[in-house]
Amino acid sequence: MLKFLLRSSLTALGLALLVAPSTLEAQLRDVVSKEVAVGRSDAALRLEFSDDGALEIAFEDGVVLIDGDVVGVFEPGDALEAAWRSLLGQAVSLDDGELAIMLSDWSVPADLANEAADLARQVDRALEDALSSFEITVSNNSSSVPVSITGGPGSLLSLFLNATGELGLLGEALAGLRGEFTIHVDEDVVVPAGETVHGTLVVIQGDARIEGEVDGDVIVVDGTLELLDGSRVRGEVRLADARLVRNLGTVEGGLVDLLDEERSREIEIRSQIREEVQEELRAQLRREIRDVTRLEFSDDDNGFSLMAPFRSVFRGVGELIKNLISILVLGLLGAGAVAFAGTNVDTIADTARRAPGRSAMVGLAGTLLLIPVWLLGAVALTVSVIGIPVALVWLPLFPLAACAAGVMGYVVVARNTGEWLADSDYPWTGWIRKSNPIYTIFGGLFGLMFAFMAANVLSIAPFLGFLTGLLAFAGSVITFFAIQIGFGAVLLTRAGRRHEGASTYDADAAWERAMDVDADLDVDATADQVEEDSDDA
Amino acid sequence: MRKALYIAAVTVAVAPALLAGQSWRTVTMSRQIEDNDEIRVFVEYGAGSLKLRAADGGVLYRMSLRYDEEIFEPVSDFSGHRLRLGVESIGRGFHIGRSKQSGELDLEFARGIPMDMDLEYGAVRADIDFGGLALTDLDLSTGASQSIIDISEPNSVGMSTARFEIGAAEFEARHLGNLNAERIEIDAGVGQITLWLNGRWQRDARISIDMGLGALELRVPEGLGLRLRKDGFLVSLDSEGLIKRGDWYYSLDYEDADRKVTVDLDAAFGSVKVVWIR
Repeated sequence: MLKFLLRSSLTALGLALLVAPSTLEAQLRDVVSKEVAVGRSDAALRLEFSDDGALEIAFEDGVVLIDGDVVGVFEPGDALEAAWRSLLGQAVSLDDGELAIMLSDWSVPADLANEAADLARQVDRALEDALSSFEITVSNNSSSVPVSITGGPGSLLSLFLNATGELGLLGEALAGLRGEFTIHVDEDVVVPAGETVHGTLVVIQGDARIEGEVDGDVIVVDGTLELLDGSRVRGEVRLADARLVRNLGTVEGGLVDLLDEERSREIEIRSQIREEVQEELRAQLRREIRDVTRLEFSDDDNGFSLMAPFRSVFRGVGELIKNLISILVLGLLGAGAVAFAGTNVDTIADTARRAPGRSAMVGLAGTLLLIPVWLLGAVALTVSVIGIPVALVWLPLFPLAACAAGVMGYVVVARNTGEWLADSDYPWTGWIRKSNPIYTIFGGLFGLMFAFMAANVLSIAPFLGFLTGLLAFAGSVITFFAIQIGFGAVLLTRAGRRHEGASTYDADAAWERAMDVDADLDVDATADQVEEDSDDA
Repeated sequence: MRKALYIAAVTVAVAPALLAGQSWRTVTMSRQIEDNDEIRVFVEYGAGSLKLRAADGGVLYRMSLRYDEEIFEPVSDFSGHRLRLGVESIGRGFHIGRSKQSGELDLEFARGIPMDMDLEYGAVRADIDFGGLALTDLDLSTGASQSIIDISEPNSVGMSTARFEIGAAEFEARHLGNLNAERIEIDAGVGQITLWLNGRWQRDARISIDMGLGALELRVPEGLGLRLRKDGFLVSLDSEGLIKRGDWYYSLDYEDADRKVTVDLDAAFGSVKVVWIR
């Protein structure tokens, strides 16, 4: 606590502090923590000091923030931002003392002008305020009293050294006061219940809590004031850049807030900046919406395209051609399979026709087990030394074999579908000749993919999106089941090498069952009878 | 390890998706030493490159991080002598495409400050040197990574147990003797593990290795007493320079060695090779 008497105006005290350079020693605060963050749209510096203070300066999305407060705007990529990023680039490799020196030595770049220069000055001042710590010795006629003032944004230091307007404010706060004074700088004050402070109580950069009585004025600068129940201030309460957080006591001389006007001006500036930022964001949003709209209606970014109305036609025809090419490729694969492995194809087709449900279930199970079997096989082969070369073959060939089985199954189901279509009376199916597997395969492929192709055609017309989606879904379901049935049939017949679900056809047994006679004996007896008849004749 | 594996699995699964449309951000943080009390350090990192070493000067830690701000955010929290560093997912950003870029995390910690260290990382290429740090406890957990752990200088404070949990990794630990640990526990899933038992052993130690499938190579300096026991289903042991007595394999000069290290291996499949180094 600093206690001494001032008989003259306290404005003179402030000036006395200023004009006594021999008693003022500057030093830098200890930086205990540093964080430099640099991204595409932001560049920020955060410092923590040994006395729990902190400073955060961020250039973020065109806005400069100091301790979370917007202090100005900048154009991304301008000279100010470049200077700030350069400063941060130097700060990355420095710590503590070296960092503090470097930051406090930073000055406004010469190439900045007008608003950018003003903004840079604010940043520079914030850095210097935050990093500086001053030891001040105040002398009067009889004694010397050291007062420690720690810097910070909006601190007494900046009040004294940087802002002549605020110095005037301090002078205004202290003007006209007479009598005995008690001044507390950078510390909190409590006047306990039952105690009385005689004279004026001045608290600078600290919080005052009055439970008892002050027989004079109370002046709080850059702090808070609490007047608790039963407290009493005989004189006036003056607040300069301070807040009254609780007022349950009695203030006989009234309350004066010297910063009302300043605050309203600050609010006005903040609101103005907010509006500018919002307007900028709105403009940006409008630009983005315009760009998106332009992209919707054009092939490129050059604006509206005359081809836009035909895009759905091109898209639909393109998809249709893709499906036709798929049919051609699958049909050729099917023809190849019939040519080189016709018996296997017949066996698989027979199984798919006789037991489609069982084939589908086996196909589904097989599909689900594909990946586990592949992985387990790979692991099992990797464990043994001999198996490692086999694993090298297993890893790529197993998926290929599975795909081949799926394609083969699908083609075989297409062939069965083609045969069914050949027997049907549906229009446009007359060209399918059941005796020729090539025809049945192509016919079946057209049948299986009909829903897809219909969806392609319908997608050309507007307002039929739902129907298009429905047909595409139906096509997907048909394709899924066709693949499962075919794949299952391939698995059941071991790729057509084993006839599943039917015994070998025995013509003699069938004839015997049909005629209920011994075919061999009957034939022989008939032959004998013919011979006898011939002899008789 | 489960968490590390989870991190690795998720990272690997979404890696191709993560690699494009990235917005890289660089953060450098440091904190000065305020006292010499022990701190607990937690480091969590998903994918990229990780480097860790001892810091010079009066820095408690220094972190340099490069990450995709669309997907991750940096973690830096120091309170009550607990320090958390790394990145964590913010669960947004899912981009299709490819890029050759990856995240980077460089960490430095103060020499001489006692630290209880907990490292957890996923699909990471790690180059870690604990040399010069004063480790009172160590837990290292990794997923699918390629890790080189070195203890280039002796740990000035001892620890009772150092734990390494390794998922599917190529893992190499050098100068394990400098760790100054009474017990080293290694729990490995699949991979290739190389343990260098060199360094300055300040006490006899026990190394427990629990391995699923992989190859283990023990590089043992001549003069160190080694006792090894293996228990496993299909584990081959190249026991050159070892004599079998009962269930244990002993180095030739085991009884006369100043420092003795016991290796207890439990593995399912794999091979163990002992290489003697000068």
